[in-house]
Amino acid sequence: MITIETSGFIPIYEQIKKAIKGEISLGVLKASQALPSIRDLAAELVVNPNTVARAYRELEHEGFICTRKGKASFVSENSISLIQRDRVRLSEDLFDRAIAEARKFGLDAAEIRRIVESRLKNQGKNAEGENR
Amino acid sequence: MSELLKIMGLSKSFGRHPVFSDLSLKLDAGKVYGLLGLNGEGKTTLIRIMMGVIPACKGQIHYKDSEVFFRSAAYKEDVGYIPEDPFFFGGMRVGELLDFNAAFYRRWDSQRADELLKRFSLDRKTRVKTLSRGMKLRLSMAVALSARPPLLVLDDPTSGLDVPTRYDFLQGIIRELADSGTTVLFSTHLVHELERIVDHLFILHRGRIILDEEHQAVKDFTRRVRLAFPGDAPQTLGIEGLLTESRDGQRMEAIVYPWSEEKEKKIEGLSPLRMDVEPLTLEEIFRSFVAG
Repeated sequence: MITIETSGFIPIYEQIKKAIKGEISLGVLKASQALPSIRDLAAELVVNPNTVARAYRELEHEGFICTRKGKASFVSENSISLIQRDRVRLSEDLFDRAIAEARKFGLDAAEIRRIVESRLKNQGKNAEGENR
Repeated sequence: MSELLKIMGLSKSFGRHPVFSDLSLKLDAGKVYGLLGLNGEGKTTLIRIMMGVIPACKGQIHYKDSEVFFRSAAYKEDVGYIPEDPFFFGGMRVGELLDFNAAFYRRWDSQRADELLKRFSLDRKTRVKTLSRGMKLRLSMAVALSARPPLLVLDDPTSGLDVPTRYDFLQGIIRELADSGTTVLFSTHLVHELERIVDHLFILHRGRIILDEEHQAVKDFTRRVRLAFPGDAPQTLGIEGLLTESRDGQRMEAIVYPWSEEKEKKIEGLSPLRMDVEPLTLEEIFRSFVAG
């Protein structure tokens, strides 16, 4: 399920790309499975079909999906390995943003490192709690 | 992309009151255009001239490379028009109204008309005057789309409708876009609505088109800058493209379009203590363009 946030600052085609990659990495969309048609997805999300087409085009260009002429788009066979690489890059982007924000509050590298460590420890504990 | 409609040097005044002068714009085939403007800025007047409902004082309109004259019938067959307050003969039944309209269009698609009635849950036997505002909008959409127009012009069609009905309506437009590659000009003062569907934006303000740009570019190149200075803030940032600028003691805030690295460097040159640069929503962007 994709939700589009129009009040945010991430372009809609980026949101669609991210959501599809997310579904591939979660295994909701499997290799060689068909994606919804541009028309259907555009109507469902109430966004311009050109925007969905752009998201599909870029996903195809990046190798996550393949489109057969005049037919539907499919999740490509090597999408999973691409996503492994992508995940690291996306996480790095998120950390970059968090670090930039923290610096605005006047924190230095050592303090930021300490925060990351303590958050990791904290989440580790929570995860253990859930497993029990 | 091929040019569908071109407006050149259009001027209109009502008596001594000028609405706009020397206005030009063009529409490429297959795109969705948003026409934004405050109430009373002449959006409806512009559209009514485009539709041949009222004459212009000066200027030309070209459709597919040939000039459109006031009351030209051939052109009207190509353009679907959904006005803010559609006029219907209230005594007619839905089916009669469709058949009545069918007579005016050579390309009228009655199978499509029936499909649209079904999709919009309209019954051929209902009397038009008994329909709600939302249902009337659906009816005017059914009429406009059954003629299979290459260009669809919507004049603030969703004002006064509740959110689910508006959503429904947009969904209908989107289906149409995906099915037929229709070009759409969507006029509204409800900016939020456009965010999901437009490719290109026009802002009509004080008789001029003050913005004519791709939607994504507008979002990418409009930035809010918040600054704090060690002492009093300077009188002005002294850069081009300041949509708004305000200062309050050591603080300063400005909205800039188009934003560039050069401008960022120039502001950094004023050595602020703190500088935050952030993007804006379309609604905020629209407000700052018409603020001046």
